[in-house]
Amino acid sequence: MNRLRRFFCTPEAVAGAAILASLIAMALAAPLIFPGDPQAIAGPALLPPFHDWSLPLGTDRLGRDVLAELFHGARTSLAVGLAAAAAALLIGAIVGTLAGFAGGLIDEVLMRVTDAFQTVPSFLLALAFVSIVGPSLGVVVAAIALGAWTGPARVARAEVLSIRERDYVAGARVIGMYPLEIAFREVLPNALPPVLALSSVIVAAAILTEAALSFLGLGDPNRVTWGGMIAEGRTVLRTAPFLSIVPGVALVLTVLGVYLAGEGVVESTAVRRSLS
Amino acid sequence: MSELTISRRGLLAGSALLLASTALPTIGFAQTPKKGGRLIVAADSEPRNLNPAIVASNGVFFISSKVVETLAEASFDGKDGLEPRLALSWEGAADGLSVTFKLRDGVKWHDGKPFTSADVAFSALQVWKPLQNLGRTVFNDLTAVDTPNELTAIFKFAKPTPFQLIRNALPALSSVVPKHVYEVGKIEENPANNAPVGTGPFKFAEYKAGQYYRLTKNDAYWGKDEPYLDEIIYQVLPDRTSAAAALEAEEIQLAAFSAVPLADLERISKVPGLKVITKGYEGLTYQLVVEINHRRKELADLKVRQAIAHAIDKDFVVKTIFLGYAATATGPVPKNDPQFYTADVPTYPFDVAKANALLDEAGYKRADDGKRFALKLLPAPYFNETKQFGDYLRQALAAIGIDAEIVNNDSAAHIKAVYTDHAFDLAVGPPVFRGDPAISTTILVQSGIPDGVPFSNQGGYRNADLDALIAKASETLDTAARTELYKEFQKKVAADLPLINVAEWSFISVARDTVGNIADNPRWAVSNWADTYLAG
Amino acid sequence: MTRALPLLRRRLVGSIFVLLIVIIGSFLLLEAAPGDAVDAYIVSTGGDAGMIELLRHRWGLDQSELTRLANYLWALLHLDLGQSVTFSRPIRDIILERLPTTLILMGSATALSFGLGSALGIYAGARPGSVRDRFLSIGSLALYAVPGFWLGLVLIVVFAVDLRWLPIGGIETIASAKTGLPRAADIATHLVLPVSALGFIYLALYLRMMRAGMAEAWRQEFVLAARARGLTRRRIVFAHVARNALLPLVTMLGLQSAQMLGGSVVIESVFAVPGLGRLAQEAVAGRDTPLLLGIILVSAVLVIAINLLVDLAYAFLDPRVGAGEASA
Repeated sequence: MNRLRRFFCTPEAVAGAAILASLIAMALAAPLIFPGDPQAIAGPALLPPFHDWSLPLGTDRLGRDVLAELFHGARTSLAVGLAAAAAALLIGAIVGTLAGFAGGLIDEVLMRVTDAFQTVPSFLLALAFVSIVGPSLGVVVAAIALGAWTGPARVARAEVLSIRERDYVAGARVIGMYPLEIAFREVLPNALPPVLALSSVIVAAAILTEAALSFLGLGDPNRVTWGGMIAEGRTVLRTAPFLSIVPGVALVLTVLGVYLAGEGVVESTAVRRSLS
Repeated sequence: MSELTISRRGLLAGSALLLASTALPTIGFAQTPKKGGRLIVAADSEPRNLNPAIVASNGVFFISSKVVETLAEASFDGKDGLEPRLALSWEGAADGLSVTFKLRDGVKWHDGKPFTSADVAFSALQVWKPLQNLGRTVFNDLTAVDTPNELTAIFKFAKPTPFQLIRNALPALSSVVPKHVYEVGKIEENPANNAPVGTGPFKFAEYKAGQYYRLTKNDAYWGKDEPYLDEIIYQVLPDRTSAAAALEAEEIQLAAFSAVPLADLERISKVPGLKVITKGYEGLTYQLVVEINHRRKELADLKVRQAIAHAIDKDFVVKTIFLGYAATATGPVPKNDPQFYTADVPTYPFDVAKANALLDEAGYKRADDGKRFALKLLPAPYFNETKQFGDYLRQALAAIGIDAEIVNNDSAAHIKAVYTDHAFDLAVGPPVFRGDPAISTTILVQSGIPDGVPFSNQGGYRNADLDALIAKASETLDTAARTELYKEFQKKVAADLPLINVAEWSFISVARDTVGNIADNPRWAVSNWADTYLAG
Repeated sequence: MTRALPLLRRRLVGSIFVLLIVIIGSFLLLEAAPGDAVDAYIVSTGGDAGMIELLRHRWGLDQSELTRLANYLWALLHLDLGQSVTFSRPIRDIILERLPTTLILMGSATALSFGLGSALGIYAGARPGSVRDRFLSIGSLALYAVPGFWLGLVLIVVFAVDLRWLPIGGIETIASAKTGLPRAADIATHLVLPVSALGFIYLALYLRMMRAGMAEAWRQEFVLAARARGLTRRRIVFAHVARNALLPLVTMLGLQSAQMLGGSVVIESVFAVPGLGRLAQEAVAGRDTPLLLGIILVSAVLVIAINLLVDLAYAFLDPRVGAGEASA
């Protein structure tokens, strides 16, 4: 309860939470407010915003409703961000725990693999991966996760190294639990909080990476994403700037929201930890 | 001011007016060709092989056609649509077994050596026939080139070959390279492929990868007083929006091949000092085509193909995707072709109700969710417009209950998926019409082509009648009879729909007002630019 | 120095394994790609079956994957990066041609984001929770949230097209034959926009890290002690608080070097800068496996070297760090 109060004490965190909440509301409401395919052609092409109240934000190059795309885009952009972050955290936590808990050769091998992934620019990796496997939402998520799991892995490993020697782990050994069982049932849950603290950064980065991939023509054409909208709008940046500004602002707000809220959570927990 | 054509087909009334108004200030301008100056042009890609005799493609011609010349060039008013370059005349024998070229006298290569019939013979036999992407087909039956004197080259064919085809192939397929440069070592590995040597008005000076190509004036050019320009620079601008910005910032003076996105043209036509030119690409028509995989049971049914044709609103495609800078298509030969086109073919007006009825008739009823069947749709990634048409087609198909999923590949993966693996149901492709159906059009529907050949019939379509017609046309020597056969060909294709022709488009140039003599032939962007100049 | 040597040795041995993993991984990834260099090539040319076969043979693509990997590794042992299939030139030459550009771009952008970021971070962190602190930290975050390509396009429209203060792209005025100082000035002018676009994105990272580190340091005992000694606030900020907060930023510098290279792919494409990032994109599109491997290898070596330097610097700066765990 205390933590919650502390969270709501910082205006940044509240703003972040508010942005996130409205974003989630948008994502959930999208199919209710705009049923049907958001990519359906709804009116004349390149209609500017605030001209026709049935199409309040105007239309794009093919005459698709920008507002409907914006709402449905919230769904995919959030889904991409969350899925990529979840995948990255999962891989990172598992690799980090195994490396930290097993030590020795396994640790060495896993950490060199981690090094290898960290050495290759993650965007370049994502670019190559998507060009090769072909852009669909799942592939984009995988590509982003592929470049993002190393951070969580390192943090998890460091955390596991310090937990490994604690009493309750020794206790578990004594009562004869299997090493893997100890690693994943006793050690991992305790190592998780600092790893989870990375999630907001990863979600934000994932949303931005998706946008950059779309810019290079590597988005999923069957779904609306904000990145895809900006990428399409940029060819008419001078003629119809709203086409890239509208999703651009949405993207900036989302990344800001994710960041601020994430930071709020981390700070409120950090204060609690230093107090206890 | 002939390049500012206002009466273009399909141009929207609004933008036509705009063009007219921007054209006015320059009409009184004294357009006397002026010597000197450096023309800076936008280039969006960097061809890896600059030898047009090996790679006959527009990307290569854009740069190399100023350096390496062909025997003849396309022309708006020349006989048979041609004007002389390295050849002064060309004559086909009645039996179709030989073609005689009389060559231009006094022409010198850039290294000072004289140009002779030996160079033509070498280029034809050693380069075009064995190595050139298009020449391998057209010059397949070429067995020898006789050179009775330095200025005569006689092409000998093993089988009767239509002179009309050879003539139509000259502008794109007949780049002559110097024998003395290429006769040593492997032709494919010759350094001149990256720094071409030719007879053209400009010499290849320098290439800085990722930055620019530089051509300089050839002082010993055979054309009187030509060229006008001192230098041409191709500045590499990989991003699709940067050409417009560079034009406005006066960093470049010309952006050809629609380097300025269509959607930006209306705005840029209002920028003082810039002009939008729609002429100069009549000989480089690209066709927007729906390629069909006939191995799919549904698509093997003519009724389904007709339904898809009826579901596509071609006017919408021209108006919205091409913003009027295109024409609707009726069949496999574009409307602007002066020799072969016929409008007398079955047509498929936009009619969703009829399309639905046809699908019902074919036995593909809508399921409870309103869908009849699902398809994989692969739009070619090379142009913005092919991708946008893919998005549109998905919506158009949804309206008739066909659930299309777009698969977005990069170029290499697309080529492999469609032409080698046949892993598609529908694909959107932009084949090029090269002035004669036999060069690169009949191959789109002909059967028996090995897997992996790009821009060919890889949809498993087989029609014995059509194959026989194509074979007959390829050996018909009489021009009128041959033309008639290709009209028949258009009718058959439009009736049986091995593929669906949706639209035809050419490119747009945007240039500063000071650039003169642009668009004065139907392949201007890929011609030699000897008379192009910079005023003021 | 004695402390640094075992670290150095350990890192170098580890690096060889890392590089091996990187090479084999990238090779396998590219082999799994649909379409090869010939498919990418014939997009712009077309051609019949015979020509395609001819090309595959000439480019060695008709050999088995294992043979090609073995050949590649064998050549690499002799420090030969091989021949690019798309450029038909030695890969070493191509990369050496592009590397300086990318190094200048990345170096300047890193200097900008690190320098300005940490300076603003100190300014913001000197008074944690103040208006300027909040404004700077949120403002920089908003910059971070703007997609790099979009920032680049807007910068071009404003500064190159409308105001015409700066060139729209490229690395230097084309074919200008400038040398020496004028050339350096020319290159600098061309780099202002791309460096800003790339640098401002990562500004937030250093600013916020600095600021957070400072907020932490304010609570530390030695700061309290310094206060008790009656030092001026300015002195405490610079001599104690900021200095302590700077260390993690140095680590970040190493970690970010790889990401900066990734970010430059998009920026180089928007600003037509002939660097490694764009070359990598072209290599992927052209399925030029040896070229992409070469680029990845060079950038990996670069990243490893930078991190090693950072670790060494760290080991000297902070006596508490034992050899080996520096970058964890």
